[in-house]
Amino acid sequence: MIPLKNKPVGKAMVIGGGIGGIQAALDLADTGFYVYLADKSHSVGGTMAQLDKTFPTNDCSTCIFSPKLVEAAGHPNIRIMTSCELMNLDGVPGHFTAHVRRMPRYINMDKCIACGQCAEKCPKKVPDAFNTELGMRKAAYIPFPQAVPLKYALDPDQCLYLTKKKCGLCKKICPVDAVEFDQKVENFTLEVGAVILSAGFELALIKEHGEYGFGRYRNVVTSLQYERMLSATGPYGGHLQRPSDGKSPKRIAWIQCVMSRDISKNRPFCSSVCCMHAAKQAVLTRSHLPESETVIYFMDIRAHGKGFDEYIERAVFQHQVQYKRSMISQLYVNPQSENLVVETFDHHINGTVEEEYDLVVLSSGFQPSKGWINLADRLNIHLNPYGFACGDFDEPVSTSRPGVYVCGVLESPKDIPETVIQAGAAAAEVSGLLSEARMLPAPDENQGADNQIEETPETGQEIRVGVFVCHCGSNIAGVVDIPTLLSVIQKDDDVTFAQDFMFTCSAETQDRLAQTIKEHHLNRVVIAACSPKTHEPLFQKTLEQAGLNPYLMDMANIRNQCSWVHGKDTKKATTKALELIKAAVARAKNLEPLMADTYKIVNDSLVIGGGLAGMTAALTMAKQGFHVHLVEKTGHLGGFAVKLTHTLEGHSPPKLVRMLEDRVKSNPNITLYLNSELSEHSGYIGVFNGIIINAETRHEISYGAVVVASGGTAYQADEFRYGQDERVVTQVELAQRLRRDPQWPRQLKSVVMIQCVGSRNETFAYCSRVCCSAAVKNAIALKDINPDIQVVILYRDLRTFGFKELYYLEARRKGVLFFRFIPDEAPVVYDDHGQLVVDFTDRSSHQEFRITPDLVTLSTGIRPALDNEKLARILKLSRTPEGFFMEAHVKLRPVEFPTAGIFLAGLAHSPRFSDEAVAMAKCAAQQAIKVLCQDKMKTSPTYAVVDPDLCTACLACVRVCPFGAPFINKEGISEIVPAKCQGCGMCPSECPARAITLRHSTDHQTVAEIDALLDKIDICIKHP
Amino acid sequence: MNLAFYPGCSLEGLANDYERSITAVFDKLDVKLVEIDDWTCCGATAAHSLSETMAVLLPAKNLAAAEKMGLDIVSPCANCFNRLTYSRKMILKNIYDVPWKVTGKTKVYDMTRFLAQPDMIDQIKQKVLMPLEGLHLVSYYGCQMVRPPKITGFTDYENPQTLDKIAVALGAISLDWSYKATCCGASIGIGRRDIQFNLSTRLIKKAHQAGAEAIIVSCPLCQSNLDMVQNEKGMPKIPVFYFTEMMRLAFEGEKCSIQNFRMHLTDPGRLLRKKGLVK
Repeated sequence: MIPLKNKPVGKAMVIGGGIGGIQAALDLADTGFYVYLADKSHSVGGTMAQLDKTFPTNDCSTCIFSPKLVEAAGHPNIRIMTSCELMNLDGVPGHFTAHVRRMPRYINMDKCIACGQCAEKCPKKVPDAFNTELGMRKAAYIPFPQAVPLKYALDPDQCLYLTKKKCGLCKKICPVDAVEFDQKVENFTLEVGAVILSAGFELALIKEHGEYGFGRYRNVVTSLQYERMLSATGPYGGHLQRPSDGKSPKRIAWIQCVMSRDISKNRPFCSSVCCMHAAKQAVLTRSHLPESETVIYFMDIRAHGKGFDEYIERAVFQHQVQYKRSMISQLYVNPQSENLVVETFDHHINGTVEEEYDLVVLSSGFQPSKGWINLADRLNIHLNPYGFACGDFDEPVSTSRPGVYVCGVLESPKDIPETVIQAGAAAAEVSGLLSEARMLPAPDENQGADNQIEETPETGQEIRVGVFVCHCGSNIAGVVDIPTLLSVIQKDDDVTFAQDFMFTCSAETQDRLAQTIKEHHLNRVVIAACSPKTHEPLFQKTLEQAGLNPYLMDMANIRNQCSWVHGKDTKKATTKALELIKAAVARAKNLEPLMADTYKIVNDSLVIGGGLAGMTAALTMAKQGFHVHLVEKTGHLGGFAVKLTHTLEGHSPPKLVRMLEDRVKSNPNITLYLNSELSEHSGYIGVFNGIIINAETRHEISYGAVVVASGGTAYQADEFRYGQDERVVTQVELAQRLRRDPQWPRQLKSVVMIQCVGSRNETFAYCSRVCCSAAVKNAIALKDINPDIQVVILYRDLRTFGFKELYYLEARRKGVLFFRFIPDEAPVVYDDHGQLVVDFTDRSSHQEFRITPDLVTLSTGIRPALDNEKLARILKLSRTPEGFFMEAHVKLRPVEFPTAGIFLAGLAHSPRFSDEAVAMAKCAAQQAIKVLCQDKMKTSPTYAVVDPDLCTACLACVRVCPFGAPFINKEGISEIVPAKCQGCGMCPSECPARAITLRHSTDHQTVAEIDALLDKIDICIKHP
Repeated sequence: MNLAFYPGCSLEGLANDYERSITAVFDKLDVKLVEIDDWTCCGATAAHSLSETMAVLLPAKNLAAAEKMGLDIVSPCANCFNRLTYSRKMILKNIYDVPWKVTGKTKVYDMTRFLAQPDMIDQIKQKVLMPLEGLHLVSYYGCQMVRPPKITGFTDYENPQTLDKIAVALGAISLDWSYKATCCGASIGIGRRDIQFNLSTRLIKKAHQAGAEAIIVSCPLCQSNLDMVQNEKGMPKIPVFYFTEMMRLAFEGEKCSIQNFRMHLTDPGRLLRKKGLVK
């Protein structure tokens, strides 16, 4: 590494405003660094903003992503720079000069109020890139309705004035004179300490390729176009229709691996996520159009992520999605109907069969975004042959240039959670590099605590309630009759003001909301939208922005609890929405301003597990100056990785273990506890207390955050004669033998490998993610030593995702034989007079085979660590039915737990590769640093309080609390520690003396809400 | 402008009418074809699949001859074009001992691609005496002309355009269909007539479904294959023209005799008379 001149610059530049860039920016900004978040386009958001829903939870993409965009937009440490491109980078890590070019937007961002008049009047219609050219937009436009920043722009290639000096209408009508035709390209420099590249991807399929008639046949669309077609904000308003004639499609086919796993296009790799998004799209299609038939043509189903196989099962058995294993080479069009004809080979009739579809979706592979290759060249960053900036095994987010890091699809094709993990890891690298320059604002004791309302209920002043109804695109407005609803609310005596918004959560609406609250002197706010679970913090911030105490707001969930569940009955749904809103208004009238307390935090952390993930997490935090207690239950470090030999790509996990071990042992910031475990744990985020025990000693420690990296274990097989026949071994045992005795394969004639042993079955549904690669790796190793050896791999779906596919290709080229089986016809291994025999049925040819191998190798999967259960009990964490720890949100919070201050990494989360575990550990460490780097923290004001006059010290609250918050104090009555209280409401309902009140959920608030709910309502629907 | 003309063996026999139409068409254009002196087999017979050396060297003699003439080659036959291009590409890799001098100066054109160049299309439009108005055509390119793209240089091999562009220049209506480059089965006709039959009858039916009144082709083997198969019972009758026959018709107008189409098995007379294109 290049030595630093002096104290580094505490600023970083993040290139790309998709989910990776946003996450990296937030992870840096929250740990005391200033971030320039640059995006080439006029808005941040990236591809995730274009998606409809996300697998495997079918969460609305906009709904989970929008709060992040808003958070980034409002973050004091983040400066969003749209229309900006990094041109060059001079200097050394810690002291870079970034040369940036800003393209003109032709609309002054400071002046633009996003009134939309320019777009309305603009005469020039052009294909809408955000809607994948399925719809039209104007030459004056915003990229999409929730764009951040919400500012218009002129399209220089399309605008009549900018191209032909004609028109200029927008300039004439703009009420704030924001149109500036004479804007020029700006070049400027920024001083930054490090750079994170998250420039994202685009589909590799373009019309010019002519593949499957895309661009030629109107009813052939790409996977991304289909996302827009499904989306409520898309070109068809979320009502699926064929581009050719607007008819609702009956039969829809997906073709997988388009521009992926295709050597003729020089794209031999797998794009990793298409199998899952096709399954998701098919499931959503079936729920949009229950009469539809959905067929997915595929080669292998690559459902290698946490819970993915279960999702595929549900798609097949619950939603009747049909899977047809077939590599389709061409589509034909029926000239009369513009239907598409798929030709497949049918084994039963020994001939080709034509099947016709109304619509065909092409699951196109990914490639890095346009311009990336040139940027990489300018930055002197090494790329793989396909343009991706692949990270190293031990440094998964580093590029070939020190101080420049990478995350997301730009690194390699991957899904959203893996992108979020890499973003956090990249932030951790930057945070480590620049930690000397970390700047934290002095905690503002009064922030959010002082109530600026002049009129409060105590002073007998008027209560003014504002109601804001959200359309949520068409999620709510598609079912609930909003105009009628609004007119009834506006007439309500309890409501001072009411208004509706398309997306109340968008950054721009937040500003308008705050403005409206001020204008109408509102002092109670009801947001009728989605779930407070996801959006309450956002709207609370808006209240603060408007000068109101954030606890003077209530939400009516008219989406999840109303429009989503009563989609077929507008009248009843509208009535229910009104009832929910009236109840929320009643509660809002009784809300009181609440203040937060602050407390000092412990800047040390606890890492549980001394494997690759645990050591990496510990070192990441130690490097940034935080003390770490690292607890390992065995007598040695390294965990699962110690047993491994090398990876598919040729790296050595044990070597990495040794390197990390040396660094851990010599790091003064790490206290290592071998042969030890955590026996007790209490406290709350920032101030935890625990006890670490081993055979002799017992340490009481305090820590501000916890990283759970308790690892996994190998499945102990008892099938296929394993354990009773020494000729049957596991992949790990085979690899170890190859290392010990490299000449051994010369004595072997035939080896059979059996995949998915102990995985993807009734007792254990997970795919173990790594076994296909392990088999391919060992198969290649055997062939390299002895080219004449017969290696047969019996598999179900070959899941060599991403660039691992190249090794699958290499194995086939070297003559490794692959046969597919199904669980109902599992291979049989037996001993016939001393000869090992494997019988199996090949599903592709429907032939039965018998092999007499010298060796059978079982690909046994990864299982959760046995003591996860105990750990989960001590830390009060939940686990999946299989026994892996359950993260807070599968998509956007993969390393967090619902319990604040505890984080997750490595195999404890799910089966994963070593480099993935390393990235995850860095990400988890960075989340922990968000806590550790602070001096003080705020408690939630919504805690339970005991009325000492009523308490009888019956211990009911002490026994019922899952968080251990109440205790009997010196006065002999119950007292609740505010910072520990999670506000769950169990103790107030259990308390026989009714001595406990939960702030923000008081009896009179709740009673008022219930009373309002029970009032009879009848409204007349005008717009059915 | 002169071009070295490599007719290939088909045009000497099977596709005699193709050659006659080419000669007539180029008489009208400002491009003169100069037949390569003493040309030899291109190797598209069994030779190229049996011997890689033969595959490279057989066309090489013709490449050398054209180079000596100092002219680019134009090949009307898809197979010849494919073999010549392949040979040229391989020779330029410098791994073969070639007895004739081939430096790669000479380019090899497929005839449709030469004629579909923008300036040639302009010239064609100018020479049209009788636009083929109202004639619905589909273009059939077959498999040898566009594929493999690494050899042929076609980038739009999924949806080639050269014949379509020429058809439009002649005033005809060029219909899109999905089977432009789908195999007609001619290559397997001797060994497996059943497969050939299925493949070529499918093309006729799909052309009919697309609304085509005639098919235009540039490959002699495709022409004879698609023309012959229509004898079968229940098949729609769709004339299969060499594209140059259509050019000749448009260029010569009333002077073009129906006798020019006498080698067709599926009689084009009825269609052409119906459209008022011949008397």
